[in-house]
Amino acid sequence: MPPEAGPIGRVVATELKPSTPHQFHFWTARESPIGIGSLVRVEENARVVYAVVTDGFAYCDLVSPLHAVIGADGDPQLAGTEPTARAEIRLYSAAVLRQVPEEPLQPVPLGSVWLASDTDVILALRMDGYTGHERATGIPVGLYAAGGLEAPVYLDCDFLLGPEAAHLNITGVSGLATKTSAVEFLLGSIFQTFPAHKGTVAAVCFNVKGPDLCFLDQPGTLSVEDLRQYQRLGLTPAPFQNVRYYAPLKPDGVNLNTLRTHESLSANTEPLVWGLREVLDYAEVVLNRDDIDAKADAFIDFLAERVVGREYLDETLRTKPFLVQSFADLEDFFRRIFDFMEAMGKGGEVWKTHHVATIRKVRNRLSNISTRSKGLVTDDGLANDLPWGSFADRSVHVIDVAGLDPLAQDLVFARVVSKLREHLERRDLGVDHVIVFVDELNKYAPADGPDTYVRKMLLDLSERGRYLGLVLFSAQQFRSQVQRRVVGNAGTGIYGRMDMDELATGGYATISPATKIKLATLPKGELMLRHPHFTQPIFVKFPRPAVLNSREGIERFPPAAELPFTDAVVRHLRQFDRRISGEMVRALIDGRREEDVRRALAATRRERPADVYAYFAACLGRRMTSEAVSPRRGIPALSQADDPYGR
Amino acid sequence: MEVLVNLNSIRSALAGRGLTVASMIPDAGGSRMEKASIQLARLVEGISLQSIPVGPVQAPPEPIAFLDGVQRSEVIAYAGASPIVVAEIAAAVRERRDRRLHTVLEDRRRVVLARPGALDAAGETLADFHRVPLESEEAPHPIRDLVHAIQALDRARGALVLDVGYRYRSRSDAWLVVDGALSESPCWAGDPRVVGVSKSHSILPFDGQDLERYLRLPAGYRSSIYEPHTRALAPVRAWALRLWPWEGKDLLHGLVRIEVAPAHGSTQSADAISRWILAERTPVSAPDRRWDRLLYGIHSVEQYLRSRTA
Ligand SMILES: Nc1ncnc2c1ncn2[C@@H]1O[C@H](COP(=O)(O)OP(=O)(O)OP(=O)(O)O)[C@@H](O)[C@H]1O
Ligand SMILES: [Mg+2]
Repeated sequence: MPPEAGPIGRVVATELKPSTPHQFHFWTARESPIGIGSLVRVEENARVVYAVVTDGFAYCDLVSPLHAVIGADGDPQLAGTEPTARAEIRLYSAAVLRQVPEEPLQPVPLGSVWLASDTDVILALRMDGYTGHERATGIPVGLYAAGGLEAPVYLDCDFLLGPEAAHLNITGVSGLATKTSAVEFLLGSIFQTFPAHKGTVAAVCFNVKGPDLCFLDQPGTLSVEDLRQYQRLGLTPAPFQNVRYYAPLKPDGVNLNTLRTHESLSANTEPLVWGLREVLDYAEVVLNRDDIDAKADAFIDFLAERVVGREYLDETLRTKPFLVQSFADLEDFFRRIFDFMEAMGKGGEVWKTHHVATIRKVRNRLSNISTRSKGLVTDDGLANDLPWGSFADRSVHVIDVAGLDPLAQDLVFARVVSKLREHLERRDLGVDHVIVFVDELNKYAPADGPDTYVRKMLLDLSERGRYLGLVLFSAQQFRSQVQRRVVGNAGTGIYGRMDMDELATGGYATISPATKIKLATLPKGELMLRHPHFTQPIFVKFPRPAVLNSREGIERFPPAAELPFTDAVVRHLRQFDRRISGEMVRALIDGRREEDVRRALAATRRERPADVYAYFAACLGRRMTSEAVSPRRGIPALSQADDPYGR
Repeated sequence: MEVLVNLNSIRSALAGRGLTVASMIPDAGGSRMEKASIQLARLVEGISLQSIPVGPVQAPPEPIAFLDGVQRSEVIAYAGASPIVVAEIAAAVRERRDRRLHTVLEDRRRVVLARPGALDAAGETLADFHRVPLESEEAPHPIRDLVHAIQALDRARGALVLDVGYRYRSRSDAWLVVDGALSESPCWAGDPRVVGVSKSHSILPFDGQDLERYLRLPAGYRSSIYEPHTRALAPVRAWALRLWPWEGKDLLHGLVRIEVAPAHGSTQSADAISRWILAERTPVSAPDRRWDRLLYGIHSVEQYLRSRTA
């Protein structure tokens, strides 16, 4: 396959442009297959040097532009009509990838230059160390292509998923950089090629934008060229086999807050619902840190340890013990405290060492969470969560947070990543490695702005995750807008088409001007890679991911219309049992309190009983009289005066 | 001037033989300057010298070739008062196709020039060099001998250029543009595919009014055709051609002398060939000092030969 016809150039070194151990220059014929990013080999005596072309120059023997003007008699139309074309040169700069032998490290010899062959690409990128043998750890990432040659490029999974290095960051402009697509493709490649001796792997993806990751389980349309590339990379173009979608509910508590609501996709799409317990454990995420003092902390601890989820008896408040399991229960608990303190009159400013202002503040913050996260956080305490402890090998868990309030998004990130971490630490997640994919990283770990819990968590993940098998794949348009250490810790960096202004920022100073131009004009499907084994950035192309893209997905699986409460309940139940009819459900829930219906639905979902209808009916309990139906009591906002910390 | 490399081992060998080593690059120009003179020519077009517009420039048909030679010399030692000069001479033909020049023929030689006695004294040391013995009745004189050596070297180079040109012509029918006069070689003087372009005007073909007109040709004009006074054997046809406006610069600025075989001595041929040469004035061969008269093709041969003479 390699067109090993003969040397295509020759190293030149002058006093002004000498060869160094890291860089050299060579000239070629006017017509040559060399371009920026081409890999070349220099041979001289026993030394072989592999390098990547980083810059190119052309000039002729014209010493002063004035001579060209004289020659054309000052007439641009006559320029270029001279009978002889001037002698010209094509001069290229190349950066050394590898020298053989590596020691002693010497300047690049003034030898002949060859276009890299298949084997040269393997050696140049040091892939011989981790591919082509029994305990290989190569993951195909794309094809290096130049001068008729096309060679697969592999990442080393020891350096992508740990333990040697880990994490991946991809950057580039919207739409053209194919960031999300590249991550989808690479996840597919990892799932197909992650070696057995390295254990098991799963992925948790946060869908942060519209329908971006909503169709990972559906086959996409691929071109002949895409298919050819898959074959060349040794991969099967297939969508993900084991994908589960989690989306919070809308505020009505029955419709899913996602664009993946088409009926034929409902089998593996389920609600993500958390209760008070789940939220309280991560209270500090959502409670603005500066605003939470030690006193509030102490009160939250008191709630978490003494009240929530267990029987709590305080005869001064109520003779019957409290069993606080939901936000509604908690609200009732708070009510009793305030009633009690009111009754005390003067002197009733402190309850169990907690000042009334602190209590009000915590109550307001918590009620704020339940309001802003409505649909994610349930009032009635029945949670539906990721399958902690039973993650399957090669499973993908997509959590759709695109429709959530930023506060609720933070809560989801914090809790999911923390849970992953806890389980991986205890080695009981179900898999050895988890790839967490966070798109739009600049939103969650911005370079400037407050040091939020989520940003600290992402930093911690990027610094310590690799020992645990917890790996961060992240994407953003502008790397410069992301916290330096988070992207800095990514062992593998990928760059799609880039913005020139972004390239002008400090982080890209080591990239040659020509490489920058190439990056700024990179076509879709081409990427620049940095990887610990590659001494210099390498350009590759990759095929479209074998999954349905979001645009086509939305056309083929248009989101179901948001349904009225009853119809939505019917849809949920029919998802478990097709025989259930609208009439049956309607007759059953007509006149019921919505929260009772929601609770029954959640219980049914959790139980997945054989007889869905009977179970659901049983959960609803005896039919109540209409008098018993009282409007749900919301959490009334407290007046400013009552709450010195109020917003 | 560049230095011939790898002469140091030869020098020490010569020192071992009792010669006085030296390292001096002779001034090429001085000795080669022809004596300025007027050698009246015979007009063959019209009865008095005219300035004739040649018409719009026109590139010559391809392929077309350019021939030139270079030399480089160095005094390497003295045998008594007499210098030993080593030199490299080279000649090449570069042919143009599709507006690009390619070297199609090339020859180079290393020579040593000295009195026979000095050559003997150097013995085997200079075995790799072609020997040019400089016979002389006069007593050795370092400067006079050097002048003789350089003149001999000029002739040796001229012979090599002729030889390379002859070899090219014997295998190609393309036009060959030669740097200098044709009249020195009988075989070129009659060759209908060779054009000589001379930059030197030490010998002028006219005097009086004719000379003034000759030296004041406007750009794009040629003189009437004439037959130069035959220095050597071969009769040729010649005319002057102005490549660039000279006004305000110098009488000789952009003035070349064209020489062709008598077969091309017609008005038509002279006009056509002039238009070609006019086209060849670009691209200009600057920064060479002689860019106003040095055709780019010739310049390119020179550059090529110099780049290969380490
Ligand atoms: N390998 C490929 N070759 C050619 N086109 C591709 C390839 N991969 C993806 N594309 C196309 O590029 C477009 C953009 O892809 P993608 O959504 O991945 O970009 P993005 O960088 O994530 O954009 P954004 O910043 O807006 O999220 C899509 O329309 C997709 O079809
Ligand atoms: Mg994207």
